[in-house]
Amino acid sequence: MRFLLIISLIILLGSCLNESDPASDKSNFTRIYDNDQFNSSFYPIDMKQTPDGGYLILGGRRIKDSNFSGIYIMKVDEFGAFISEQEVDEGFVNPIGPLLENGGKYFFFCMTSVGLQTQLLQLDAEGALGHPISIIGSYPAAASIDGNNFLLLSYDNFNKQSVVSIIAPSGTITQSKGFSIGAGDAVEEPIINHFLRTGKQFPFLVGKTTSGQYYFNGFYNYTLSLVFTNLNDDQPQGVVQGQQDDGGISQLVSLDGGKFALSRFNFTDNYFVPNSTLSTSGVSSSIDLGGNPLPELAANASVKILRTNIGAKKIAIYGSDTRSTQIVLYGYDESNGEFIGSRYLGFSNPFEIASILSTADGGLAVCGTTYVAGRFPRICLFKLSSEEVTKSFH
Amino acid sequence: MKRLLVVLIFLFPLTIGMNAQSKKKLGGFNSKSNQQSKFLDKQWWLGFKAGTNLSNPSPIKRYTVMTPTNYPQASTDKAYESFNKMGSQATLEATFYYKGFSFSVQPTYRHSQFTYSNQYRWDNPENTAEKLILQYDQEQKTDYADFPLIVKYDILKGKIRPYVQAGIFYTMLINANKSVQVSGTDYASGGTNQFNNDPIIVGAKDLFTNYWGMMAGLGVNYNVGNIRFVLDASYWKSMSNITNVNNRYSNDLLSGIGEAPDNLDLNNIVISAGVLFPMRFLSNSFNTLDR
Repeated sequence: MRFLLIISLIILLGSCLNESDPASDKSNFTRIYDNDQFNSSFYPIDMKQTPDGGYLILGGRRIKDSNFSGIYIMKVDEFGAFISEQEVDEGFVNPIGPLLENGGKYFFFCMTSVGLQTQLLQLDAEGALGHPISIIGSYPAAASIDGNNFLLLSYDNFNKQSVVSIIAPSGTITQSKGFSIGAGDAVEEPIINHFLRTGKQFPFLVGKTTSGQYYFNGFYNYTLSLVFTNLNDDQPQGVVQGQQDDGGISQLVSLDGGKFALSRFNFTDNYFVPNSTLSTSGVSSSIDLGGNPLPELAANASVKILRTNIGAKKIAIYGSDTRSTQIVLYGYDESNGEFIGSRYLGFSNPFEIASILSTADGGLAVCGTTYVAGRFPRICLFKLSSEEVTKSFH
Repeated sequence: MKRLLVVLIFLFPLTIGMNAQSKKKLGGFNSKSNQQSKFLDKQWWLGFKAGTNLSNPSPIKRYTVMTPTNYPQASTDKAYESFNKMGSQATLEATFYYKGFSFSVQPTYRHSQFTYSNQYRWDNPENTAEKLILQYDQEQKTDYADFPLIVKYDILKGKIRPYVQAGIFYTMLINANKSVQVSGTDYASGGTNQFNNDPIIVGAKDLFTNYWGMMAGLGVNYNVGNIRFVLDASYWKSMSNITNVNNRYSNDLLSGIGEAPDNLDLNNIVISAGVLFPMRFLSNSFNTLDR
């Protein structure tokens, strides 16, 4: 009798443990957002987790009436289930990331398809679009948060300058400085091809170091360079030069203590430098930064770096694309640059990374592009639970 | 809670029966008629049987990797096929018979198969030549160790003894494999290009888990000498999810092509035939019911 009772209890307990669990469904999923139009093309640029636990995704899309990419916005819930999408008017093109969170709203820059004037667009957490704000300048290339303001790197095709601006959420430019890319059309051509997405995609960046110095990764003096500036002096304070458009910094995050987690590329090769002391003054070369060679990465691979914590440990997670068309995440200890683990995402069809973030439940969300049936570019979203993250990067 | 009640109701007569056996003293064996009576009233049977099974997967909750943004979610649902693939099983049976009732433990090795498919299509309303149809045909092969506790009741008491049976079982996953065959028709490549990709075959043990369930069925015993031949058919219904919810998306090979397993009940029709041997009165001088 007792034996049977124990058996029945074990059975019941075992069955209950495997019942569908909403917490499990939220913490761990893979989604591919498909559109059944043969000639549709969507790619993500950035995503943010919204207060309801869902995800707001900013993307680009193929449009008919412009050579630039159109704007695509998608909202999904905490389970990754599709809620809404918005194909923004084709009068606005070339959206750039990241989504900039300020005052419960999400901002991003784009430009008009006619006139190519920079625009600041605002979204709420449901993905509803606010009124666009016109900003002086053209060809927005990169953006970041600077306190309550935004930093914008743009390309001024009239003066042939890389321009760094501080912009208030109201659209007012409070400070701006331009740096010449060099004379002649040859240096401009790859920049325009980048915006048209017909050429090499450059890792344009703009930001502020923990010591308060501004930087941008863009073209300066004929070369893709990491430039440090105080936005007052006409000349940069420091320059880390690349190799024209064949080498340079591919991603950069400012760490504590004046250090950086960065990656660089050089003639298709890729290197991770997880704990670097950059020279922020004078002129140096990105080649001198050395780093871990990553031959498994695709040529001139896109790299994203996320600072996060696993337990008490601060880690930098590098996300990139492999030659075998998977997304790969490498984890490094922030304090010493020691490698602590990796995780691969996607298989069968090609996958490319666009964005990575820490989620409210301690997990990770990775957004990217996959080519459904090997041909249709679509947005994908991987959600990894905190247990999986800890297991991968322990 | 409802399931707990069902199980307890089921277990009640089983435990009463077993208690009754343990309390009753064994009688003597002074005469042959007394032996026959004892043989008829109380017996242990031990044997084996084997047979085939057919599976009927039934989704509890559907999951998908492919999430449509401009067409109905239901169109991505997997279409399960029922009772279309034969599996097999081998069983050891130990049965205690008492006055028409039998209480049986039947550890079983079972191999089951089931299939499902789904289809995706992409087209361009402005250009009919731009069309692609993909068909995903998926086959799961699972190996389980079943541990059923079964109560049987003999309807007739002759040489041919039909019976009804019901029980509960707990099933432990031993192994699982999955193959995905992707085929399609591409109308955009200058003609009608029909293709069949090589199947993707992966170990899928992580995708499934142990489960429990209930069974009921019919059977017949045929006694020849001291040996009893048995043929039975039963329906096994899982009462818990067979999919491992923690590993639904763990296989990148599968999630990469848009595959995530649903929460499933796995129901089976199980048909077995075998032979049982009595554990008491086994001597050359004593013949059983058919003498």
